[in-house]
Amino acid sequence: MATEPVGSSLASAPPLTAEGRQRLMRGLQGKPKRLGRETLTAYLFLAPYLFVLLVFLIFVALYGLGLSLFKVDIGFTTPEFVGLQNYQRLFEQLFTNPGLSLFWISMVNILKFVIAVVIGQTILALILAMILQATIFGRGIFRTIFYIPAVTSSVATALIFLWLYNPDGLINYLLSLVHINGPDWLNDPLFALPSLMLLNIWTTAASFMIYFLAALQDLPRELLEASSVDGANRFQTFRHITVPLLRPTIFLVVALGTIGCFQMFDQAKFMTNGGPLNSTLTPMLEIYNAAFQDSHFGLAAAMSVILFIIIFVVTIIQRRLIEPSASNR
Amino acid sequence: MAQVSTQAQAAVRPVEVARELRPERHISWWHLVVYIFLAIFTITSIGPLVFTIISSFKSMSEVLAFPPTIIPRLWIWTNYATVLADQDFLRWILNVFIYAAAAMVLNVIFSSMAGYALSRLNFPGRNIIFLVTLAVMMIPLAVTLIPKFLIINNLHLVNTYLALILPAMAQPFSVFIMVQFMKGLPKELEESAMIDGATTWRTFYQVILPQVRPALTAVAILTFQGAWNDFIWPLVVLGTRNMYTLPLGLFFFKSAHYTEYNLMLASSMFNTIPILVLFFIFQRYFIEGAVSSGVKG
Repeated sequence: MATEPVGSSLASAPPLTAEGRQRLMRGLQGKPKRLGRETLTAYLFLAPYLFVLLVFLIFVALYGLGLSLFKVDIGFTTPEFVGLQNYQRLFEQLFTNPGLSLFWISMVNILKFVIAVVIGQTILALILAMILQATIFGRGIFRTIFYIPAVTSSVATALIFLWLYNPDGLINYLLSLVHINGPDWLNDPLFALPSLMLLNIWTTAASFMIYFLAALQDLPRELLEASSVDGANRFQTFRHITVPLLRPTIFLVVALGTIGCFQMFDQAKFMTNGGPLNSTLTPMLEIYNAAFQDSHFGLAAAMSVILFIIIFVVTIIQRRLIEPSASNR
Repeated sequence: MAQVSTQAQAAVRPVEVARELRPERHISWWHLVVYIFLAIFTITSIGPLVFTIISSFKSMSEVLAFPPTIIPRLWIWTNYATVLADQDFLRWILNVFIYAAAAMVLNVIFSSMAGYALSRLNFPGRNIIFLVTLAVMMIPLAVTLIPKFLIINNLHLVNTYLALILPAMAQPFSVFIMVQFMKGLPKELEESAMIDGATTWRTFYQVILPQVRPALTAVAILTFQGAWNDFIWPLVVLGTRNMYTLPLGLFFFKSAHYTEYNLMLASSMFNTIPILVLFFIFQRYFIEGAVSSGVKG
């Protein structure tokens, strides 16, 4: 596979420098032919990637869109075109009794989750980066330490936090030291979703910290120095110099965080499986259940299209809010 | 801004005067805060993991003891023995290794080839393919998951390694990283190779690739890590216990040993430790790769 494009290109070129130069000159003169060859070579180089791109990304996205117009239950009946019925069904649920619709329950859950986690992870990531930036000795070591939650797999952290959130676990022990009676975190409908929020802030802040760190290191030093010479204190410098300059990075972190959070699945499936009382049911989990437990593939596809549109709209609104100048361009 | 500058004008002289006195006190106060925060975040970052590693050697009763013990009263190795004695556990490790290694090798080869074509060759359609690459990076998994499964199902690939590897063997984000790194290389590299009569493939393989080794390493590591930790795609396309990858196996292991936290903690280590080792060896590439895939995208 890997050697496939070899023969196609300039395989017959002799190794001698002089002749090679001659060929090059000839090649430059006969442009159309060379372009044809280069095109062929290029597409041979691209072939495996184009296969994945066309089949597993472009076709799949269109397929998903089309699928949402069908009633599909693989293995039972033949797919049946139902038009917008899947969407109609979901929106009827929204307008009649969203509290009974698992999909809209999951939407409410994920909106809470996105707001809390995105704000939490962005602020924590910025604090982590600023602390590192202010560290003189051992910055590299602390950076490595802070990054570890981002490297640990979601499944492993889920297992670890199942144990830490246990009613007799470490978290409740630490709370008992300050005389707080900790709840049964993951089995209490009030606390299950916040537990997952905290866990997600913990893992994702570490990876977003890196973006802020890179951006902080690129800040023009003269500007920061000028502001401190002008008598601005650290907070003023941060508020009036650092934050405005970080706007593009803040948008990037907020947008990536939002897109990721909206699709939260691993912990919801692994730790609580949507429970208790659907309090941690996320749209991805509901899509998964609709497709793979209830065999409603078309309905699940319609749910994912709605989810995609919501993610898209929210990201655009965020861009307007955080980077007004960029969106006017 | 306006506030700062009016204040600043008024404050110019006092600052100049006070300069020799103030910094020492100011800096030590600031540094105290910084180091307190460093200490707190160090504990929150590695505390859970370190505590888990230690606790994976505790007995079942001790792992849930209240108040918790830090160091096990009795170090127990049987947790690991019990985990490995599970009939399929080693198979899960092998499966995830096959998935991660194959995805890594293929993705490095194919995305560097694609990156080379998109950054160094001239051909009609180049800009469109690059734009599409940028666009598909925005498509969330939510949209592709179900149709992707149906395609794999139609190809009769459910519950095979190919189902895992095929979609992961050339990833847009890797192609993007390769393009970013390759397009900055000087044009003379190819010209001299061409004059020496090298084929396009040899130019790519012997001239370009050695120049972008950091990018190759970053792509390799991120792909390996992604597949090693992947949970949702194996959950969707794998059916039988012997085909599970480790994260999926851990999910079912957890369900089978719901109250045996000592076993759960030990089992999670098999998922965590290999990536941590890779991270400590290649941490520069982990971090740079993560930044370049995000910041420029």
